Amino acid sequence: MNELDDNAFEVRSRALFHDSVEGLDMRIRSRLTQARSAALEAAATRRPWALGWKLWTPAAGVTAAAILGVALWMGSPLHHQAGTLADAQSNFEDLDLLAASDEGSGDALDMLQDDIDFYDFADKSANPGPAA
Amino acid sequence: MARFGTLNTAWMVWDSPAPAPEGAVLEYTRELEKFLAEIERRAFRMAQVALRDADDALDVVQDAMLKLTRSYASRPSAEWRPLFYRILENGIRDLQRRRTVRKRVMTWLPGPKEDPDSEAQDPLENVADAAPAIPERLMQGQAMEQLERSLRALPPRQREAFMLRNFEGMDVAETASAMACSEGSVKTHYSRAVHALREHLGEVW
Repeated sequence: MNELDDNAFEVRSRALFHDSVEGLDMRIRSRLTQARSAALEAAATRRPWALGWKLWTPAAGVTAAAILGVALWMGSPLHHQAGTLADAQSNFEDLDLLAASDEGSGDALDMLQDDIDFYDFADKSANPGPAA
Repeated sequence: MARFGTLNTAWMVWDSPAPAPEGAVLEYTRELEKFLAEIERRAFRMAQVALRDADDALDVVQDAMLKLTRSYASRPSAEWRPLFYRILENGIRDLQRRRTVRKRVMTWLPGPKEDPDSEAQDPLENVADAAPAIPERLMQGQAMEQLERSLRALPPRQREAFMLRNFEGMDVAETASAMACSEGSVKTHYSRAVHALREHLGEVW
């Protein structure tokens, strides 16, 4: 089998194929025409949506940017830092309580002094000394 | 001023919210229709050779047309043919896979077995010829039938390369694009296909 034979084979097979294409019956041709029309019609019905793509683009862009922003915020160190600040605020409140306790230590001494005065008064009332 | 970027992207790059001019859309549609009309019969026959069933071949051709017009119509028209045949070949292989699965399932079920590859369903019977049945045409029909059988015996990639190069007349680069492979692979597949076909058909064919 040489190249010349290969060429002859190719020419003959091509001719046979094209003969078979030309010999297609009307039923097949008609159905192919219908298929083509359906495909073009489908493309035509898709067209109005495609024509308005520029109208949709800004809205889609804004939505995508918002979603991206939220996603970045949720995953960003700032978001974690915000949580840390809340914790720190709670700690400050605790410190305030502690500080308040420290500040109140003076009041507690005053209260203790009041109690001593009261107990002294009660003792004198219960055990009155000899009348002067 | 609003205008189309290219004719092929008529409904994709129209720069105005107003509807595209009727004339431009018509011109675009005509070009797409012309392409499909020019290619559809050969595509059908190639699908029929691979699938051995006229109705299945019509289905995959219609599906390829729909996918091309819906998804790839915005591509330059020079790309339509390789894209169309790539879609078509994918459809053929999907259908062949489904047939294989169905065949396996049917072997497990009781009752008469369905064999889609049986010779009784040879689609050549559907390719009626309106011309008088003269002996020469009968011989041509028989020769084509032999060629189809030999093509079906080839590995799918060799069959695809042979049909695209020889039947469709694509060059090596276009065939490589349609087959999603290198030009070297196309040459190899095609060369092996020619030699296998000649060996299978014999010297008298």
